[in-house]
Amino acid sequence: MAPAFTLPSTTGGPVALADLLAAGPAVVMFVTDDCPTCELTLRRLAVAAAEVTVVCEAPPAAASRLAARTGFGGRMLSEPAPYETSRAFGLEAVPTTVAIAPGGDVAETVVGWDAAALSALLGIDLGAEPPARKPGCAAKSTYDAAQLAADAAVGDDDPEAMYELGWTDGLPTVAPTPERVAAMLAGRDPSASLGPVAPGMGEATLERVAACAVLAGCRPEHFAVVEAGVRAMLVPRFNLHGQAVTTQPAGQIAVVNGPVRAAAGLNAGMGVLGPGARANATIGRALRLVVALTGEGMPGRLDRSTLGQAGKVGTCIAEDEERSPWPPLHIERGLAPGTSAVTLLAGDAPLSISEHRSRTPEELAAALGWAAASLWSPNWWPIGAATLFVICPEHADTLAAGGWSKADVRRAIWDAVQRPAGELRRGEFTARVAEAADAELVPKWDAPDDILLIVAGGEAGRFSAVFGPCVGMDWSPVTLEVRCDT
Amino acid sequence: MRYVSPYDPAARTPVAAAPRHGTLAGRTVALLDISKNRGAEFLDRVELRLRERGADVERYCKPLFSRPATGELVERIAARADLAVEGLAD
Repeated sequence: MAPAFTLPSTTGGPVALADLLAAGPAVVMFVTDDCPTCELTLRRLAVAAAEVTVVCEAPPAAASRLAARTGFGGRMLSEPAPYETSRAFGLEAVPTTVAIAPGGDVAETVVGWDAAALSALLGIDLGAEPPARKPGCAAKSTYDAAQLAADAAVGDDDPEAMYELGWTDGLPTVAPTPERVAAMLAGRDPSASLGPVAPGMGEATLERVAACAVLAGCRPEHFAVVEAGVRAMLVPRFNLHGQAVTTQPAGQIAVVNGPVRAAAGLNAGMGVLGPGARANATIGRALRLVVALTGEGMPGRLDRSTLGQAGKVGTCIAEDEERSPWPPLHIERGLAPGTSAVTLLAGDAPLSISEHRSRTPEELAAALGWAAASLWSPNWWPIGAATLFVICPEHADTLAAGGWSKADVRRAIWDAVQRPAGELRRGEFTARVAEAADAELVPKWDAPDDILLIVAGGEAGRFSAVFGPCVGMDWSPVTLEVRCDT
Repeated sequence: MRYVSPYDPAARTPVAAAPRHGTLAGRTVALLDISKNRGAEFLDRVELRLRERGADVERYCKPLFSRPATGELVERIAARADLAVEGLAD
């Protein structure tokens, strides 16, 4: 007797052998998803439109892909590890084709590709195109225990499966298997909620946030930063909703301070804005995936950004507090020394500012500020949004040499970048410009405190950067402590 | 293979479209100005066209385009209007 089975179909619900036999004799063909002979056989069956039920030793997504690339349009069932059905059939190799009589007896078995034998078994002509015969591969059910356990743990690890599910930002993602998500959570309550995520208001349970962290490529030691970043994004004054649906290119920018930078392996030095450092790349990406997947803010759907920008895959920066002559961002924003923190900002792509000639703090502050004068729009003054400058170490030295504090730098940039309203009344301009007298000076920023400064980057080179802000969204930066003990 | 989904199924449940009325005559249409630049101007023209077709028009406004309408405003519109139009402009 053929062993009974019930297996999931790639196109619908479960299918039982008894269901197949209710309609008469059945032909069941066992295949795997990585066997050239199985692919050859399925291609020939597709051309002949053979009536066969295929059992694929692979998860459903991989079985679906096998059907798609061979053109096989018939019934495809999925048998993931540990391949109990194949074992019950005593399989040794694939493909193995089994003809089963209505009463359940095995009438005939063909192993491998054998055009004549399969034509006879199926009662159709599979053609004379060579090869006439071809041996197949070992059935996965014959694997040893260690390999079976590895298959079960890894599951359908092909990034193609993640693309099929849509769990991606366009780059390959890591499959969020239960084991990987559990490792990310490290015993935390998976159902604990951080709140609904705009714009789709999916609830960010810790488990879903951990799934996004796995997808992004994070390691468990990154998760405390990801969690704090999500909490910060969900603070109402951050207005994630506006950022997530806007036609602007803005994404979410995370700045990390404190001891967690070293614990997470974050780069604050050379090439800090990427690429290259796993922690920076994956933490920033995890935050964006929480917005795009849990929050349903997928580009092209609820995310209506006209152009987008590469930094929207994820941007996470660590401040080089040890190299900075000034207090770090999180201390400026009210946290205690020794704490770790993440500060979330809404912003556009970074604009590099090359400035090798300034020798005084005043010259350099003016150069940095005027480089930022065209952000958003050359005539949109004041810009009405917080703007992040990343000051490289050499520039920080020049600015600090005169004894300047961060507040002095902010003030100097703000003072320097002002223009008469009459020059700004063209193209798109603000109500303040519209109402001002021609000669009245209008600043680029509403107030010096809208200018945020961090120090980061390589020791050599006089290249700072400024992130174009997200404008008109009624958002403000949010700084939250990263707690590593929870 | 079972994966841990990043999605919240509750946020993915399709919401059924409201019944179609077939005609605008005698219907109450809510026009929601989201406070984006020139949105009211756009809705003024929409209102004219709707009134030509016999609709009653009520105007609503939310204070800031970048934040969702409050539940209270959505419920008020749903209670009073047969149809709703949001004006997005710039």
